[in-house]
Amino acid sequence: MSAGAGNNSSISSQPVAFPSETRPRLKAEQVSYAYAATDRSAPKFTLGPATFEAQHREIVAILGPNASGKSTLLRLLAGLIQPLSGRVEVDGVEASELDLRTRAQRIALVQQESELLFPLRVWEYVLQGRYPHGRRLRFESNEDCLLAGNALAQVGADALRDRWMDRLSGGEKQRVILARALAQQPSLLLLDEPTQHLDIGGKVELLRRLRRLSNENRYTVVVVTHELNLAAEFSDRIVLLHKGKCLRVGAPAEVYEREVLEEVFEAPLDVEMRPSGRPRVIVRSGQ
Amino acid sequence: MRRASKRGRFIRAMAALFALMLPAAQRASAERARNASQTSPPQVVTDETGRRVVVPSSVHRIVSLAPNLTETIYALGLEEKLAGDTDYCDTPPAARQKPHVGSMLNPSLEAIVALHPDLVLAAANSANRRETVEALARLGVAVYATDPHTVRGMFESITHVSNLMGAAQQGTALVARLQARLDALQARLTDVPLVHVLFVVWDDPLITIGQNTFIADALRWSGAESVVIAKQDWPQLALEEVVRLQPEYIIFTSGHRESSATKLSDLRERSVWKEFRAVALGRVLNASQEIDRPAPGLIDAIEELAHQLHPEVFLGENARAMNRAPFERPVDICLNTREENSCAR
Amino acid sequence: MRPLTPRRVAGICGLLFAMLFVAVVVSLRMGTYPISVSEIVMTLFRGVAGRRDEIPSEFWLVVFGLRLPRIAVGALVGASLSVAGAGFQALLRNPLADPYVLGVSSGAALGAILSLTFAAHVAGVIQLAAFIGAAATIASVYFLGRRGGQLDSATLLLAGIVAASFLSAMIMFLMTTLSGHELRGMAFWLMGDLSTPPPTPNVLEWLLFLFAVFGVAAGMIYATSSDLNLILTGEEEARHLGVNVRRVKLVVYISASVLTGLAVSVSGSIGYVGLLVPHVMRMIFGADYRLLIPTSAIGGAIAIVVADTLARTLVAPTELPVGAMTALAGAPVFIYLMRRRVR
Repeated sequence: MSAGAGNNSSISSQPVAFPSETRPRLKAEQVSYAYAATDRSAPKFTLGPATFEAQHREIVAILGPNASGKSTLLRLLAGLIQPLSGRVEVDGVEASELDLRTRAQRIALVQQESELLFPLRVWEYVLQGRYPHGRRLRFESNEDCLLAGNALAQVGADALRDRWMDRLSGGEKQRVILARALAQQPSLLLLDEPTQHLDIGGKVELLRRLRRLSNENRYTVVVVTHELNLAAEFSDRIVLLHKGKCLRVGAPAEVYEREVLEEVFEAPLDVEMRPSGRPRVIVRSGQ
Repeated sequence: MRRASKRGRFIRAMAALFALMLPAAQRASAERARNASQTSPPQVVTDETGRRVVVPSSVHRIVSLAPNLTETIYALGLEEKLAGDTDYCDTPPAARQKPHVGSMLNPSLEAIVALHPDLVLAAANSANRRETVEALARLGVAVYATDPHTVRGMFESITHVSNLMGAAQQGTALVARLQARLDALQARLTDVPLVHVLFVVWDDPLITIGQNTFIADALRWSGAESVVIAKQDWPQLALEEVVRLQPEYIIFTSGHRESSATKLSDLRERSVWKEFRAVALGRVLNASQEIDRPAPGLIDAIEELAHQLHPEVFLGENARAMNRAPFERPVDICLNTREENSCAR
Repeated sequence: MRPLTPRRVAGICGLLFAMLFVAVVVSLRMGTYPISVSEIVMTLFRGVAGRRDEIPSEFWLVVFGLRLPRIAVGALVGASLSVAGAGFQALLRNPLADPYVLGVSSGAALGAILSLTFAAHVAGVIQLAAFIGAAATIASVYFLGRRGGQLDSATLLLAGIVAASFLSAMIMFLMTTLSGHELRGMAFWLMGDLSTPPPTPNVLEWLLFLFAVFGVAAGMIYATSSDLNLILTGEEEARHLGVNVRRVKLVVYISASVLTGLAVSVSGSIGYVGLLVPHVMRMIFGADYRLLIPTSAIGGAIAIVVADTLARTLVAPTELPVGAMTALAGAPVFIYLMRRRVR
């Protein structure tokens, strides 16, 4: 049941449909949102309008300082909240209009895991990712087990299969959570600050994995992150937010300009162009 | 030296004179005290729970803490002396007009004391709690607690209490009257076998009476015996036991709410109860709540119950000749209940 | 990777059913009425075959009127309480939740006391009043336990505790107005008691009615068991996986409360079963609700049948309230479980 280390894209991916590769997988058009304390008071925080697109096999990184609206934008993309204006389309369908199950079949959102109430094994946890693809009260089929096993293999967590969830290390848990999202077989994979509790090795490993997964399985990946350099290294597109405004959208080389970054992050920063064409951000020493 | 001895002699003389006068003075003051209390010195008695009680020699103000004691007071003709009773004292109806001191379980001690009673009567181990009695005693109030376990015990109780209240004559007369009625009843029931009954204190779950309870004794005087043999006073009985024992009569005491007829029709609607022989034959009685009250009204209740349980005895002397075992009695003899004529089945 | 299959669920349930069957058989044998095993078997066969007139009326009464209904009602009450307990433990995200924590049993008891004070003491009235009390409590706690338009675990728990305290205070107040005999009867009812035979003339009707209510409510909870598995790993995560968390919580709340109300109306507050049976089943069979719900149901049935058998045989011919038995057995089990948690 265990797949090899990731070369079996034809067996493992089984996409639901093969959408045309020219139409963008994810499209956000002038989406905006506002939080208010109550219905009648003035909005405390507004986001947008933001516009960007992403294709299959692309990784989009949403960057910005704290409280710039990154998580809100992610939730809009996930269809969890409805935009005040504009649309979010996934595979041509408006995200917030989808019913819960269909949405879960197409979009997987990976967040930090909350406290588990009862002990659970890793494979049971990953198998839960198959939930959107069946009846409400369901018993898992062989196909489900196969797909869950593949998901575990894709994140390199095959050996963790029989372990208890509450005994895993931070990095292992991170991989298992990702495996569950992959088991959903989504078209769109959204991750909210996945590198938070990982060391540098873990961060690199995760982003490399995301890169490989999106290439092999044609996922579109959107990652909310703080990691300027990792985002520059691994993503195809950057969305830069600042106090709710969508400042820049584009390739890392385009977006990473010294003045812009300094203003957004309020820190002395320098941008260096590397031979690969990807920029690198350095903290300027001295003052 | 001469002056000292003169003074010393004077003092000695005065002391001697004083010593002679003292007994006389004492006698005089005792007499004055006696005159003040008018009849006799306060008595120290032991109440029916074994407590020592100091009762004033003449009792003018009484507070009753239980309905049966109120009833007894009225029966003795002492209602003038009744200064207060509980909210639940309703027999006779005039008792409702008296000042109230609260409930039986939790009367207001302040209200009791405010009435300045010479004597408080309490029913220990039934209506009133020991804590109430002890609290009143600590406040300096004379509390006499009754605790009769049998009907004869109740007679003794009435005698004691009437003595305390200065109504010894009325007490003796009342007891004599009641005893006479009981004796008459006994006479008519001598040849009749005891009827086996189930006395239902509560039906949901089934709670009945133990053998040492007051009700059990009252039942015996009515010519009935509870079929249940249990050590506790209020045992919860398995319904299977009732099936096994098949009592001849089932007696409820639901107070004022349901009549025998209502209770019978209700039981006939219930799944297991309707199969009991007693229910099938219509032998369900609603005893007056006086059956659980050690008061003169108990005798009425006993007589009434006896009439209901032994109709053939009271329908005439001819019926005695037909004396058969209860279940073999022909069922067309109608039971003459209080409310209406109800023929079995 | 051995996922749960319907066959495995059926197999485990079959095993537990066998245990229940044994408990029922033993319980049928016990009682103060002198009837032998062969007489019981004869009564059962003839009764099922429709040859009632060949059975002595007292045998019929004892077997089909007293023992079987009592065992059946006990099993249903045990199953209801256990399923409700499992449901509430998921809903409140607390493995120590029991079905009474949200005040349903206090509401039922209050209904019962009110019916004693105001209504005629006719069969069935007390049960009906208890159920109405339970229903009113369910509704009130629901409205109090909402936050942002849906049930929130912490708010619900608080609302339930407040309701339970308030209702208990009212009960205490009303109990002071009851007469001595009523007070004694009420105390037994509050402790949990199965000795009352069905209040309707037809025993079978009553049993079928109870079973129908149980079936519907437990069935509705079972239908959400996959959802509950997900919700237990986190409500947000479950929502992202497509679970309609709001609806699931409402369904579980209502169904579990109905089950509790049913049990308490029929038999008073029997304690510990709703708390411990799901716990023990979880320890043995795991936390997957697709298996936990049915095993809790059967486990609860076994527990009550055993407890009730003891309650009516230990001090025969008198009886103990079954709630006393469950408490006596339940407390040590609870302590043992708590110590295991600390590990």
